[in-house]
Amino acid sequence: MRCHIVPPHMLERIAQDAEDPGLRDRARRTLALTSAHAAERRSLSLTAPSPTEDFVPNRTIRDAGHREHLPGKVVRAEGAPATGDKIVDQAYDWLGATFDFYEAAYRRNSIDGAGLPLVSTVHYGDKYDNAFWNGEQMVYGDGDGAVFTAFTGPLDVTAHELTHGVTQYTANLEYYSQSGALNESLSDVFGSLVKQWHLGQTADQADWLIGQGLLAEGINGIALRSMKAPGTAYDDPQLGKDPQPAHMDHYVDTYRDNGGVHTNSGIPNHAFYLAAIAIGGNAWEKAGRVWYDTLTGGSLATDVDFQGFAAAIVETATRLFGADATETGAIRDAWAGVGVSL
Amino acid sequence: MKVTVIRSGGFAGIEQRAESDSARDPMLAGLVDRVDLGHVPPPGRIPDQFLYEIDIDGDRTTVGEAQLHGPLRELVHHVLGRAR
Repeated sequence: MRCHIVPPHMLERIAQDAEDPGLRDRARRTLALTSAHAAERRSLSLTAPSPTEDFVPNRTIRDAGHREHLPGKVVRAEGAPATGDKIVDQAYDWLGATFDFYEAAYRRNSIDGAGLPLVSTVHYGDKYDNAFWNGEQMVYGDGDGAVFTAFTGPLDVTAHELTHGVTQYTANLEYYSQSGALNESLSDVFGSLVKQWHLGQTADQADWLIGQGLLAEGINGIALRSMKAPGTAYDDPQLGKDPQPAHMDHYVDTYRDNGGVHTNSGIPNHAFYLAAIAIGGNAWEKAGRVWYDTLTGGSLATDVDFQGFAAAIVETATRLFGADATETGAIRDAWAGVGVSL
Repeated sequence: MKVTVIRSGGFAGIEQRAESDSARDPMLAGLVDRVDLGHVPPPGRIPDQFLYEIDIDGDRTTVGEAQLHGPLRELVHHVLGRAR
């Protein structure tokens, strides 16, 4: 058995915080080896990973060469130095930041909780205005440059897509109607939380925007969605107006977009915002913990509606903080605030 | 002959709509001739993928971007492209 001179917690610090990217990557590689040994040890005894074990990402960035074919050729593997292609390197860094968030905040080891390799394909399509999770990997377009910039730019876009993977491996919410809007909302919630964690922002300091920086210059908008004020992110002749409701009174009935999953997600998004602001502090610690435990706890039906989800959230909060705790009260009030009755 | 394409979904969730009429679009009929809306697979539920609703003279179907190939893809991009 090999022993390491540098203890894992220090390596992790270096892997995350060192100024020199080469040093960071070397620390990460060492951590990867440590983790491989830990995996060997774990396979001998069927115990849960120790609370001090370091999880390490296994990232691969692929390049579609502006065609719409997946997965594209490998341009950067885990531990490899920066390529100089800003898009590739940004995608790599944001996968790392999202991975680190899930580990640091919730002790989750990657998308599936068991170290699933993270694969992103960039430069997908010609002026492609989108990013998606295809069930196995993340895919990003460069944007058309006139309306949208590259989808690899904002950290919360990567965190949003990666969280679709987390949802797939946990509650597996059907991507249609209210369960679909909840699937979308969870991606926005953790998308925003990853950004807040990365920037070290408390709930009242955060912008609560999704896709800030994604709209090109000259487009009248600040982002694609606002959890703080759904329906106010953009209003532009080319894009139209942000259609998100913040309350059940304005729920949008449509069969398009899988039953309005990107529209009605405004309602649970705003409920999370209200809860996080009322509780205060770092949103990922309390409100985020409640949402995460509910998502991963195994009690949600795949076709759960807003009301069923809200009830499960309150149940989780009650278990964590108690029925009469201010946190649980804040969460109840948040759902009432968006018109979801419990 | 009239063809309407409505793109929905995508990370942004912004709807895009375009329409073309063969009276003003000489290429349209040729493109439609090669399309069979009866043989389009269901769109699947892929998070954040684009969905295309295609209406040819009242005959309507929805296709996911992962299934948008061949003549149907040409038609969709032709109609959306003319709107730009």
